[in-house]
Amino acid sequence: MYRSHTAMALALGLMTVGAPFAQAEFFRWAGTTDPQTMDPHAVNSAPVLGFLNNVYEGLVRRDQNMVIEPALATAWEVIGDGEGWRFTLREGVKFHDGSDFTAEDVLFSYQRASNEASDTRSWFAPVSEVKVVDDYTVDILTAAPNPIFPDSIANWMMMDSGWAEANDTTLPDKETGNYATLNANGTGAFKVTAREPGLRTVLEPHADWWGEVEHNITQAEFTPIENPATAVAALLSGDVDMIDPVPIQDAARLGSNAAVNVIQGIEARVIMLGFPHQAEALKYAANAGDPNPFKDVRVRQAVGHAVNVPAILQTIMRNNAEPASQLVSAAMRGFSEPNNKRPDYDPEKAKALLTEAGYPDGFSFGFKCTNDRYLNDEAVCQAITGMLAQVGIMAELDAMPVRNYWPELREDNFDMYLLGWSPGTFDAEHPIRFLAATPNEAKKLGSWNFGGYSNARVDELLPQIQSEIDEASRQGMIDEVTQILAEERAYVPLYIQPLVWGTQANIEVTQRPDNFFILRWVTVN
Amino acid sequence: MLAYTIRRILQSLLVLLVVGLVAFSMFRFVGDPIDNLLGQERTDADIERLREVLGLNDPFIVQYGNYLIGAFQGNLGISYRQGRPVAEILLERAPATLELAFVSGIIAVVLGIALGVYTAIRRDGILANVIMSASLIGVSLPTFLIGILLIYFFSVYLDLLPSFGRGQVVRIGGWSTGFLTSSGLKALILPSITLALFQMTLIMRLVRAEMLEVLRQDYIRFARARGLNERAVNFRHALKNTLVPVVTIIGMQFGSIIAFAIITETVFQWPGLGLLFINAIQFVDIPVMAAYLMMISVMFVFINLIVDMLYFAIDPRLRVDRSGAH
Repeated sequence: MYRSHTAMALALGLMTVGAPFAQAEFFRWAGTTDPQTMDPHAVNSAPVLGFLNNVYEGLVRRDQNMVIEPALATAWEVIGDGEGWRFTLREGVKFHDGSDFTAEDVLFSYQRASNEASDTRSWFAPVSEVKVVDDYTVDILTAAPNPIFPDSIANWMMMDSGWAEANDTTLPDKETGNYATLNANGTGAFKVTAREPGLRTVLEPHADWWGEVEHNITQAEFTPIENPATAVAALLSGDVDMIDPVPIQDAARLGSNAAVNVIQGIEARVIMLGFPHQAEALKYAANAGDPNPFKDVRVRQAVGHAVNVPAILQTIMRNNAEPASQLVSAAMRGFSEPNNKRPDYDPEKAKALLTEAGYPDGFSFGFKCTNDRYLNDEAVCQAITGMLAQVGIMAELDAMPVRNYWPELREDNFDMYLLGWSPGTFDAEHPIRFLAATPNEAKKLGSWNFGGYSNARVDELLPQIQSEIDEASRQGMIDEVTQILAEERAYVPLYIQPLVWGTQANIEVTQRPDNFFILRWVTVN
Repeated sequence: MLAYTIRRILQSLLVLLVVGLVAFSMFRFVGDPIDNLLGQERTDADIERLREVLGLNDPFIVQYGNYLIGAFQGNLGISYRQGRPVAEILLERAPATLELAFVSGIIAVVLGIALGVYTAIRRDGILANVIMSASLIGVSLPTFLIGILLIYFFSVYLDLLPSFGRGQVVRIGGWSTGFLTSSGLKALILPSITLALFQMTLIMRLVRAEMLEVLRQDYIRFARARGLNERAVNFRHALKNTLVPVVTIIGMQFGSIIAFAIITETVFQWPGLGLLFINAIQFVDIPVMAAYLMMISVMFVFINLIVDMLYFAIDPRLRVDRSGAH
């Protein structure tokens, strides 16, 4: 997308040889959420992992198009028929404290990140054993063939075993915190030189970094700014160089200002409507206690046809978002091209479907929605409520903060709900595992499938998708699952959430669909 | 006096316990902290395990009891969000709020009294009427709007003052101060004006009303008749006698400046206790919320106590009545 032009930056630098060349390039940026810890294994959340991607590194990493590329491993290959993966490690890599990176650190980081105390433990569910072959070769054995394993560990970050032992932080402790909560020692392009939780975090380039330096930053400071209006003012007044996100309603106004750039992209997060597939009765509004109409596929299809997604994108998202046809966006691995079609906006068809299902006069129900989780979520839900009313089904909207929302959904307190899903592995298998598989606590399946959607064929195909090495037959199975989910309208995918950043005009950054801000792609002109 | 003080302190303790009880009974309505602590790939077992570890499955009375036991031992708990002791976080954030409250308090008191006296003496003057009308803005516009307007005018449009934060701070022992650097002082201007505006107009209107009241009294007339100059009449006789209620209000208002700095701190991303509290609510960080609420109620109770004592000292009538009752 917006790639820094190294050559141009270099040429500009050469032209100004002399005093200005040595001038410090101090880069300040602001986001809404402070990373709650500096420990890469303690919390599996986007603000933490996104920030620490600048400080720690994994065996592999993602490039600007989300494709896996070598990082601390230079090569990897399948062992035998899929018993596991062999990683060849990069030599000469130094941690920020000067110690060498070796296979021992990989083993240690595996033990640390897969421990029960770690939030990242689930990434290693398929792993049966990690073996150190020599100082620069590691075998990671899996219980079953696992074609997407390298994709799933791009955020598994390497920690120095010696440093962790010396500072008594061999395990993460997110409840009470320890040394690694406030300090960091990675191999990444930047090291943490000051950390004041909730106030600021200062990064400086790692002098011994193994990679080729593309940025020209000498110091960077991150400040959380929760209030969007304050963040916009800070950008406009030049107090910060970059903000993430820019409120959608301010994007057009900022875009017309020559002093700042607005950078737009599409995030990995798909916003969708979910239904109760198991509940016997409606729980809210006038029809509470009546049989649950959403068990009928025609009613779910009617909802799909009644929601005017193009209108939502035009008015509420101001043309910044894209419609979604399935549970992942086209940028994700395993996107199903044959199923790239979403239900048309057709209120007549919706009414016909409702009549056919036995609801010619519609019905009332409760619609649960967040008001602080996704971009303009409450406005979107209000629009949907109005659109559904036009075909005769009356939603009673209940919008609440996300901190109250998940407990409600876990308690099955909904007749319909809004959900956003960003696949952590950037693969279509991820939402199938969490949203479409029949909930099964022991197998850790369907843990976000609040409606209890269940389809035997989907459950049968999921393990095969997880272990199929052959790309084409794997895609075939994903296509089949995607088609089942579309035909049964398990969910109504609405749109893919936009990503809007603002920078000063002299800043070049690269936006990645996971909304990770990668500092080594920043150029200050 | 001693009996009175002891009785007041006991009453204050009771107030504190009740505040804590109410706070803990409400926390479960704030939301569930679990989802913020666990990632996307959590299972129901993880949720249950963490609830058990954090004691969230206990009835709120038990949670409150455990909290009090800890608090009496000087342990305010560990922040869910930061994984650090709450006491440490509060101490780290307190200087920012106290400095902001101090500067706002000075602005509110000095300007409030000066303008109040002026508008009372020149009650029919044009400028006095302009000030009175303008003061309506101070009492009626919400703080966040004033803050945003000031930011857009002074930071974005004029580019004179920083739009957020505290600027450069200097650490002296455990205290971080913004008073010693130019960027720190500049950063103080907008938030302290925003925070002071409401209190300032309140004090000004109070002083004006009291002054007008006092200026009608006989002793002022007699003072004038004695040939004292205007200055002596207005300040030595009139203003002095308006100050008793004003001091009460100022005392109470200093408490609310600290307590209600929340909005100003959010608008200016001022790294103080108010911002900490707002973040704690968003994250359902129960230990931080509990400690903040307890701290604010301790402060209010303490200020109340001091004001009551001051009454005792300032107003001789109170003392006479009390000793007469014995």
